[in-house]
Parts: sequence; C-alpha cells; structure tokens
Amino acid sequence: MKCSEVKNLIISSLDANSDPDGITRQLEEAGVSYDFSEGFSTRVIEKIFSAGLVVNRELEFVRNMSSVFYRIAISGVAAIVLLLISIYLMEGSISINSFLGLGDMSDESIVCLLTGN
Amino acid sequence: MGSYRKADENELVRASLDGDKLAFGEIVNRYRKMVARTVKGMLGDSVFAEDIGQEVFIKLFHSLSEFRGEAKLATYIQKIAVNLTLNEIKRRKRFFSMFSQKGDDEIYEYDVADHDHEEKRDAKEMVNKALMKLDPKFRTVVTMRMLQGYSTKETAEILGLPLGTVLSRLSRAQEQLKEILKKL
Repeated sequence: MKCSEVKNLIISSLDANSDPDGITRQLEEAGVSYDFSEGFSTRVIEKIFSAGLVVNRELEFVRNMSSVFYRIAISGVAAIVLLLISIYLMEGSISINSFLGLGDMSDESIVCLLTGN
Repeated sequence: MGSYRKADENELVRASLDGDKLAFGEIVNRYRKMVARTVKGMLGDSVFAEDIGQEVFIKLFHSLSEFRGEAKLATYIQKIAVNLTLNEIKRRKRFFSMFSQKGDDEIYEYDVADHDHEEKRDAKEMVNKALMKLDPKFRTVVTMRMLQGYSTKETAEILGLPLGTVLSRLSRAQEQLKEILKKL
C-alpha cells in the first residue's frame, strides 16, 4: 500500500460515519499490526503465580507464628496460675502485697528497709 | 494451553479465579494483541509498552473477582489497558518536566526520535510517528478508533467519556493528524 493511501486511511478512520473496523483491517493488511514479544504470556503467568507463591509462603509463616504464639500463651497462663496458687498457699491471700512478697510487712518496716535506719 | 481453546470467557474467568494457570494463559493469548494495540498505540513501540502490557494482565488477574460479566471481558481489559497507559504517560510527562525544560510537544518529538532508527518509511512507522505527535487525550480516541476499530459509542464507553466529547476529540484529532501527516 502506498504512503498516500495509508495517510488517507488514517484520516478517514476518524470520520464519524466511517467503518472503523474495516479500516483497521486494511491497516493491518498494510503492516500496521501490534503484538508483544515472544514468550509474553509465559512471563505474565510466571509473574502472577510466582507472586502467589510468595503470598502463600507469607501466609504459612503467619500461620506458624500464631500456632507458636498459641503454645507460648498457654504455657504462660499455666505458669501464672501455678505462681498464684503457690503465693496463696504461702501467704494465705492473693493481694498485690503478697504477690510482691510484702504480705506481712508494715509501712514502717518498708521505710526502715529502704533508708537503712 | 490447549484444553481451554474453545472455552467461553465466563468459563475462563471462573477457572482463572480458581487459580488455573492454563485458563488465564488462554485469556492472555486471546487478548494480548488487543492490549498491544492499545498500549503500543498510545505509548509507542518500546520496552515500556511491554511492561505496561504485563501490568495490564497482572491487574486483570487480581481484579477478576470484581468482573461481573455485565460487559464483555474485552471491554473490561481495554479499560484497564487505557487507564494504566494514561497513568504511564502522566508519569513520563512528570519525569520529563522534572529533568528537562522541554515542552509537551518536544517530549513526544523525543519519543519519536528514539524509535526512528531506520530510514524505512513503512505504514506502521508512519502511524507510530503520527500517533506520537498527537496530544495524549487525542491519541487515546484515535487508538480506540483507528487501531481497535471501535465505534464512537464503544470508544465513549471504554474511556468513560460522553459521546459528544469523543466526537469533538476525533474531529480535532483529525485536523491535527492532517497537519502531522503532511510533514511525514
């Protein structure tokens, strides 16, 4: 197709009453066609699904972390309960003072302990 | 990617949502040329266009759950392609305006010169040159009309513009192209 014919096609494709589909086909026959390089689809699929793999690995890591946290939390709670029971058995109550080991101390003896007099 | 060759687009979408690589590969194969026409028509035939093309399909994959099947899949993909390409044009425009004192026209001249390695003036080269010299908002409607073969109504729907705006842009683009083509 001559240059002038291609120019006319380009101009006429923009007429409101033209048949754009037909003109597009003619332009394609004249060599105005577009495509991506070889292996484009494979690269797209690899990008999408390798990203998916990363997301899956992250999810797996988060799941593992929460199961570890769950076990640690249970042992922690058990330790706290044991501590409270032992404090109750030793001090006879579970007040803050007995928790801090100050159950049978008066305010004056604490001042004496702190000041050394 | 043989097993989905005859599948309709709804079947392909459903299978892709289930993580079927073959189904999504078939979607990419079916629409890659359409996306290439839009992206390369608007951005020029460059490596950037290839990257944007990949982004179009990646975005499509991640937004497939939002596709309700009310419009054609091609229209849905076309909208993604146009939006991503316009974003890239804006990004490049900002980049050039930050690092050079060139005006808009000169920026597009730069793009044309970048691809103008050969003296051969074939039809595709002429179309590319003419498109790159057009203002991006005109280039978009021209690409939809001339390279994709859409009607003015379809162009308006894809670009989310009123029909009157599309018609006026086409008419102004035609005037600009006449002047551009005289010099080519």
